[in-house]
Amino acid sequence: MAKFSLMFYRQDCMGCHACEVACKQEHELGVGPRLVRVFERAPDFFPVYCHHCANAPCQESCPVDAISKNEHGLVLIDKELCIGCQECMEACPFGAMQFDDDQETAVKCDLCVDRLKNDKAPACYSVCPTGCISWGATKVLADRVAQEALPQKMK
Amino acid sequence: MGDVKKVRTACRQCHGGCGVIAHVQDGKVIKVEGDPDSPISNGTLCSKGLSVTQLAYHPDRILHPMRKTAQGWERITWDEALDTIAEKFNAVIEAYGPESIVIGQGTGRDYESHLYRFANQLGTPNVLTAGHMCYVSRVASTLVTVGNLPICDYEGGPKCIVLWGCNPQWTNPDEYKGEGFWRAYRKGAKLICIDPRKGFTAKKADLWLQLRPGTDAALAMGFHHVILEEDLYDTQFVENYINGWEAFKERVGDYPLEKVQEITWVDKDLIRQAARMYAKTKPAGIHWGVPTEQTNNCADCTRTLTGLMAVTGNLDRPGGNVLFVNPPTRTVAEFSRHKDLSHEQRAKRLGGDQYKLGARVAFITPKVAWEAILTEKPYPLKAGLLCGTNPILTRANAREVYQALDKLEFLTVIDFFMTPTADLADIFLPAGTWLEQDHVADNWKRHGFVLARQKCVEIGEAWQDHKIFLELGKRMGQDWWDTVEDALDYLLEPSDLTWEEFKKVGYLKGEMVYHKYQERGFSTPTGKVELYSTVLEKWGYDPLPKYTELPESPVSKPELLDQYPYILNAGLRTPTFFHSANRNIPWLREIRPDPIVEIHPDTAQKHGIEEGDWVYIESPRGRVKERAKFNEGIDPRVIVAEHGWWYPEIKDPGHGWDISNINILTDNSHESMDPAIGATNLRVCLCNISAV
Repeated sequence: MAKFSLMFYRQDCMGCHACEVACKQEHELGVGPRLVRVFERAPDFFPVYCHHCANAPCQESCPVDAISKNEHGLVLIDKELCIGCQECMEACPFGAMQFDDDQETAVKCDLCVDRLKNDKAPACYSVCPTGCISWGATKVLADRVAQEALPQKMK
Repeated sequence: MGDVKKVRTACRQCHGGCGVIAHVQDGKVIKVEGDPDSPISNGTLCSKGLSVTQLAYHPDRILHPMRKTAQGWERITWDEALDTIAEKFNAVIEAYGPESIVIGQGTGRDYESHLYRFANQLGTPNVLTAGHMCYVSRVASTLVTVGNLPICDYEGGPKCIVLWGCNPQWTNPDEYKGEGFWRAYRKGAKLICIDPRKGFTAKKADLWLQLRPGTDAALAMGFHHVILEEDLYDTQFVENYINGWEAFKERVGDYPLEKVQEITWVDKDLIRQAARMYAKTKPAGIHWGVPTEQTNNCADCTRTLTGLMAVTGNLDRPGGNVLFVNPPTRTVAEFSRHKDLSHEQRAKRLGGDQYKLGARVAFITPKVAWEAILTEKPYPLKAGLLCGTNPILTRANAREVYQALDKLEFLTVIDFFMTPTADLADIFLPAGTWLEQDHVADNWKRHGFVLARQKCVEIGEAWQDHKIFLELGKRMGQDWWDTVEDALDYLLEPSDLTWEEFKKVGYLKGEMVYHKYQERGFSTPTGKVELYSTVLEKWGYDPLPKYTELPESPVSKPELLDQYPYILNAGLRTPTFFHSANRNIPWLREIRPDPIVEIHPDTAQKHGIEEGDWVYIESPRGRVKERAKFNEGIDPRVIVAEHGWWYPEIKDPGHGWDISNINILTDNSHESMDPAIGATNLRVCLCNISAV
């Protein structure tokens, strides 16, 4: 079964933050946890997001095995099991793990797994006006990187 | 919980038009999504639109009419509110005449047709909008030049795009959303970016021209100079369709590239390169933004840029700048009954004799309203109704604005929240958001579409703005309809659709015909592109466009440089806010918690300013503070500051309107304005900075 992941092609991110708000709405999150976040250093923008790593440091760091992987390789957290120790936040090399003060648990990108079940693309992807967000099989994402790296005329 | 009903509608969180599917459950909107079938946005939706549930269901939202008493605000009924307003307005009409009532709006929530209909039937010529320096000023200046506003035709496939003072992916793009631009760019169009600040599009551009803020008209003259010198113009077009070609050529002769370089700070070879790229790549479109208007060169800059579209043969050509054909609905002008305003009342329009181009499109510049309130000259304004506008934050010389509105004897404000402007009102009327609105949306735009904005819910006692004007108008004996829907049927009548039928259709698109001028010329007195304007000449203005030095710049006011050594580029727009709106929306404020002033790191160092420091920004008119962010993509002589900042979380009256309000620094003297249209110079003045 194909492994899925999420990727921002940073050169095309223009810092509109639509992905952030779409994500908040989808996951019913208030102020605090930001499962996807774009930092601005005009004219460049730096998206921070979960890469759904093959060997996920967050998963490895969790003392109660609250973090697991599904059949598509999506790294998911079970909020019922999470004890709020924040070890995963220390472990994530991308700064993608977040903490929800209201629920006192860690919270993370699930690639909108509920939307995927209904054949709908992740919320962040669905609103991005430049198409800088890709999701899907890791092989497809790798191909896109190769494609984007080509000079315009060779595409 | 009940089933989720999906309602197809159109956003209005900015100038709007993006397609939305609202999810409604148990009488509440629980979520919104982009509509993939929208011809405007193709499924995308921005951070502002996506936050609408936090706006509509905000705990601070006022959901019933209120009256100010000596003890504070008290809740009243709609009947009490409308009766009070009608009574006060009638008393003013009786004692001073209808011209002593000012009716105002901000950037508008698609209700200008209804607001103007109310004002025209009231008999007041004094309608205060943002139009003097935003969009309508471009419309007015192009009306007298080519008969309509030429829009960059992204669907027609431009091979070269010039983003001139415009960042359509970030903020308020009027006709088009950034999505259309991006698709054309991705198809391989060349990109020229004119911007004092290096943003995303400057980074993507083939050529980035970093001009001195506010010198756009001079730069455009530089383009013309190259085009003439190198014979890059469309000979056939200029011979047949330009009025005053010889005179215009002579005027362009006043702008050799050395001089343009000196004015604009843009290297003359780069100007030459950009002008060649624009003129030689066919078709090419210019997408222009509001900074080109918010200076004393407003009309001239618009006319010079229109001239570029014309002489290169890009006017009304697929992929160029085109005059779209709107679908068959009643126009805003017709619905508004402009013709009903008598000549006698029109003659009383404040500033009408001075700013004739503004008067031509039925607005006044704010300065004359504040003067009439404060000095009672030429006659006093006694009462006002302001709808969806926060002029204390958004108009130049904010302290004068505050003083004037504070003095106005009777003020009604229509809004969602108690804003700094609403704080000064006597009656507050609660408006519905776009989720609470039925309307033929976008009917004032010139992109060839009208959209069905459908009411998804009703919240509290809020009414959509249209209903407020209709009910107040009827109470004052005006000619309206029984219901909002009846008025929409009237708007739609030429399309042979009723509102109920239109809702099912979703949108209408006008049937586009290009090169219309070949059949019938341009809608100007000469039937040609009036680079030499017979209209402006008749009114006593210079018939040819030119660059006039900014009223407060290192060139015009060198004596101020000791105290104010930097150029303030005021009004940086951000993707999360729309003018003074959204500072209280949790999702958006989290993204941008503070007002930002961008400073070149070298400049900051001179003043001992670190990133994140609060910084005072000071001009001859006052001082405010914003938070420093370094940006190497601005000229070290320029300071870039955000606008529209107040603090909804400060609950005292005023809500901190004077802490970070950049318009405390801007000027609105008559000498600083565009002489024909009355555009205020919201963008450029001199300033200094210091660490707080």
